[in-house]
Amino acid sequence: MAFPGVAWLAIFFLVAFYAVVCVAFGNEDTLSQPVPFWNPLHWNAGYVLQVLGNYWHRGPYLTVSIRTIEFVALSIGLCLLIGYPVAYYTARHAGRWKGVVLLLLIVPFWINYLMRMLAWINLLAPNGWGTRMLHDIGIERVFIWLGLLSARGGWLDGQPSAVILAFVYGYIPFLILPLVVALDRIDQRQIDAARDLGASPFSAFVRVTLPLSKVGILAGCVLVALPMFGDYYTPDLVSASTKTSLIGNQIDEFTRQGSEKVTGAVLTLVLSAFLLLLMFYYLRTTRQATAVAEE
Amino acid sequence: MQGEIRLEELTKSFGEVVAVDGVDLRMPPGEFFTMLGPSGCGKTTTLRMIAGFERPTSGRIMLDGSDVAQVPPHRRSVNTVFQSYALFPHLDVAGNVAFGLKYQKLTKEEKRRKVKGILDLVRLSGFEQRKPEQLSGGQQQRVALARALVLTPRVLLLDEPLGALDARLRKDLQVELKAIQADIGVTFVFVTHDQEEALTMSDRIALMNHGRVEQAGSPREIYEGPETEFVADFLGVSNLLHAEASADGGVCSLRIGERTFRAEQGDTGARGEVKAMIRPERIGLEPHDTPGDNRMPGLVERAVFLGGAHEVHVRVVGGELLKATVSNDGKPLTFALEEGSAVGLHLPPDGLRVLAPSQPPPSAEDAAERPVRTAPSM
Amino acid sequence: MINWLRNPWGKPRWLKLITIVYILWSIVPVAIAILFAFNAGRSRTTWQGFSFRWFTGASGSVLHDPQYQGALKHTLILAVICVAVATPLGVALALGLQRWRGPGGGTVNTVMLLPLVTPEIVMGVALLLLFLRVFPEIGLGTPAQAIGQVTFTLSYVVVIVRGRLTSIGPEYEEAAADLGAPPHDQLFRVVLPLLIPAIIASAAVAFALSIDDFVVTQYLSGNASTTTVSMLLYASARGAPTPALNAIATVALLITLATLTLAFLVYRRFASGREAAAVAALDI
Repeated sequence: MAFPGVAWLAIFFLVAFYAVVCVAFGNEDTLSQPVPFWNPLHWNAGYVLQVLGNYWHRGPYLTVSIRTIEFVALSIGLCLLIGYPVAYYTARHAGRWKGVVLLLLIVPFWINYLMRMLAWINLLAPNGWGTRMLHDIGIERVFIWLGLLSARGGWLDGQPSAVILAFVYGYIPFLILPLVVALDRIDQRQIDAARDLGASPFSAFVRVTLPLSKVGILAGCVLVALPMFGDYYTPDLVSASTKTSLIGNQIDEFTRQGSEKVTGAVLTLVLSAFLLLLMFYYLRTTRQATAVAEE
Repeated sequence: MQGEIRLEELTKSFGEVVAVDGVDLRMPPGEFFTMLGPSGCGKTTTLRMIAGFERPTSGRIMLDGSDVAQVPPHRRSVNTVFQSYALFPHLDVAGNVAFGLKYQKLTKEEKRRKVKGILDLVRLSGFEQRKPEQLSGGQQQRVALARALVLTPRVLLLDEPLGALDARLRKDLQVELKAIQADIGVTFVFVTHDQEEALTMSDRIALMNHGRVEQAGSPREIYEGPETEFVADFLGVSNLLHAEASADGGVCSLRIGERTFRAEQGDTGARGEVKAMIRPERIGLEPHDTPGDNRMPGLVERAVFLGGAHEVHVRVVGGELLKATVSNDGKPLTFALEEGSAVGLHLPPDGLRVLAPSQPPPSAEDAAERPVRTAPSM
Repeated sequence: MINWLRNPWGKPRWLKLITIVYILWSIVPVAIAILFAFNAGRSRTTWQGFSFRWFTGASGSVLHDPQYQGALKHTLILAVICVAVATPLGVALALGLQRWRGPGGGTVNTVMLLPLVTPEIVMGVALLLLFLRVFPEIGLGTPAQAIGQVTFTLSYVVVIVRGRLTSIGPEYEEAAADLGAPPHDQLFRVVLPLLIPAIIASAAVAFALSIDDFVVTQYLSGNASTTTVSMLLYASARGAPTPALNAIATVALLITLATLTLAFLVYRRFASGREAAAVAALDI
């Protein structure tokens, strides 16, 4: 009974991924179209080595990759900074408003991601409401002074800060929800016990709640990091400049827009390998965390 | 012969765990047969094997002479009442009851009549259009019963059906179930861990422990004549004493502490260390220096008022705590019931029973050593 | 104000403040965008009065502009195909996984879960290469887009249905078998009716995912005729579009919300019985 589904996944997922590998280890024909080498024995490591060499010699691929890691790390950090208090409030203090708040937190899930970005672009356009408001309140000046904005009203001109903020806006709902679930599970009595033993509210939070929510935080971060690493459309929409090019943009350029599909495939493999490592690290840490918790 | 079940060396292992260990049982047709025992004793697994939801590891299940162990559940003439009733939520009462009738070749009119008839039997006439969610626990249970009985099975299996009900309702339904069974004459195989329930309802009881049958017989037989310590302990209060048995001219002589007692019941041929059992209602309490055979002194620890009687807890020399029943029939007592008073206990020989030790739980090695008659594959 | 924020016995008010600000920040920009869909003028930043012109107006509106119309139609076609294929496939897979005897079940389960954690661009590239090199007969375009969408929505359907299957438990099937129903009837007379809420929910989810999908749909797009609303939004966002763009985004949003609400209501009608049963069973 499971057969049709399994067959589907096998063909359109597993084989598709294998195709990526075979193209990466393949070659280009005279029309610059990729030629996959299906037999692993015939694999041509040329393009792979070329890309890896680029990394090794601190070429543009490395720059972009590092920038991607920076952007994602910063974005997730900000997401946590904003999201954790919101999740904490929802899970523990919302009382009878909890259902309503949860609903409001879930609503962004059902709004098209692009529409949400569109909304922001609209606001931050040269004479958009957002631009005018930020200018009037003076935040724009602060940003320029901090070097995060290069010119007045130039929010969409290729600012790393704009990309990071867009990431935060776009992905934070996906972080808040797992956090709410994790914080919901924490037994209030453990916090009460800490308070009873003399801890101040802040201290109880740092020494009891925070560690207990560590697993949830990690889960939420991984859940958000995986798609974020592959995101190319957000920088494209909000910045459209090579200054903020991320690995997703590179892959997109080579595979969909350009005709260097083999290199694109190689980069895709690099990204996948990196994300696999991330997953392993995550799984190992959670297994350790649960093992400690069970002791 | 309609509705006789014979279990022959029935065994079920789940990996290393032996849940049912070579069970041999005969459930006579038309009787109310109960499998009784503590959680994990294998009674539910045995029931599920009779129903067909579990395949035995080895052994045979004979239903009226044919082995049904490999027959899938939908082809057995056996129906089940589940502990949680498992009424189909998307069908109304009539739909639930008529569910199995689809597989019997009947006309629509015949089916309608059968459904009505069975609902009358369980006193739920008029409930045809109700949905399970609109019924109380007791009513749901009766629908489950009706649903199974309308198919006129040869055997009805009931898996702790009264477990989810409160005490009052349980008692009422126990009486009802017994009446229905007597009325229609279908063999009932009932599973419960409640010994009172078993004693009240059953024609015959099989007491199980650790996957094996400790003893089977009528309620009276196994209450008054328990063969092992486990059986004695499980049903009612047992009052066990350590003793050393020896022969004394054709009679079993027990040495308890420094005194010698005569025992006439149970495993009188046993020698060496045994357990002696006496029921609370057989112990005679008297002043502590009363002379005579089969007597020992003790100290009252407490007396529990039960309404019609007192249950007196007495500590005896060997350290055991015996419970004796003293009826509150108005007659003056010859001894004091206060804590600390000295009393004498008379243990009459025909009330004193010698018990064989209970069987230990089966180990995987034991199961491996026994000749395995593997069930043939389908 | 500081005191109001710092009440040591009350719940930390600053948390509440942050939450409120966050929710506003999260929703208000979209609300504004929706608002401008009803703008009477051509600007997307200056309010010029209320009007439906960008939805139904004679020219340049969602209803009459061929580009917008085409995108909307194509989006809906893909969504319908996606649901029609992914739902039965997913339900069958969920049932199959649940009854899996023998080895391999764990592996299949893992493979089923993989699309959920795979970044969209990886899937996009993989499927692109698949349809360029492995199935060039299919090539890019609507069939490819549909296949791609089904591939990643499948996992969601399986997870939702599987969850429901687990909470239903094996009892009803056993009861059906006990009463004489052969395996085929057990499935169609008992299990599937009980699964209806989950099937509806997962179909709605598949529909919403399909409408909002961007990367895979874009990667497998053949030419301009296979543009969806998402792709249109992406392409036009940085240009100087009219509020019609806001309008079409609003329409897509409304369709999604309507589908989800409908599914939720139908789900409630089918599933509410059980919750009531739990309550009813307590009273005699």
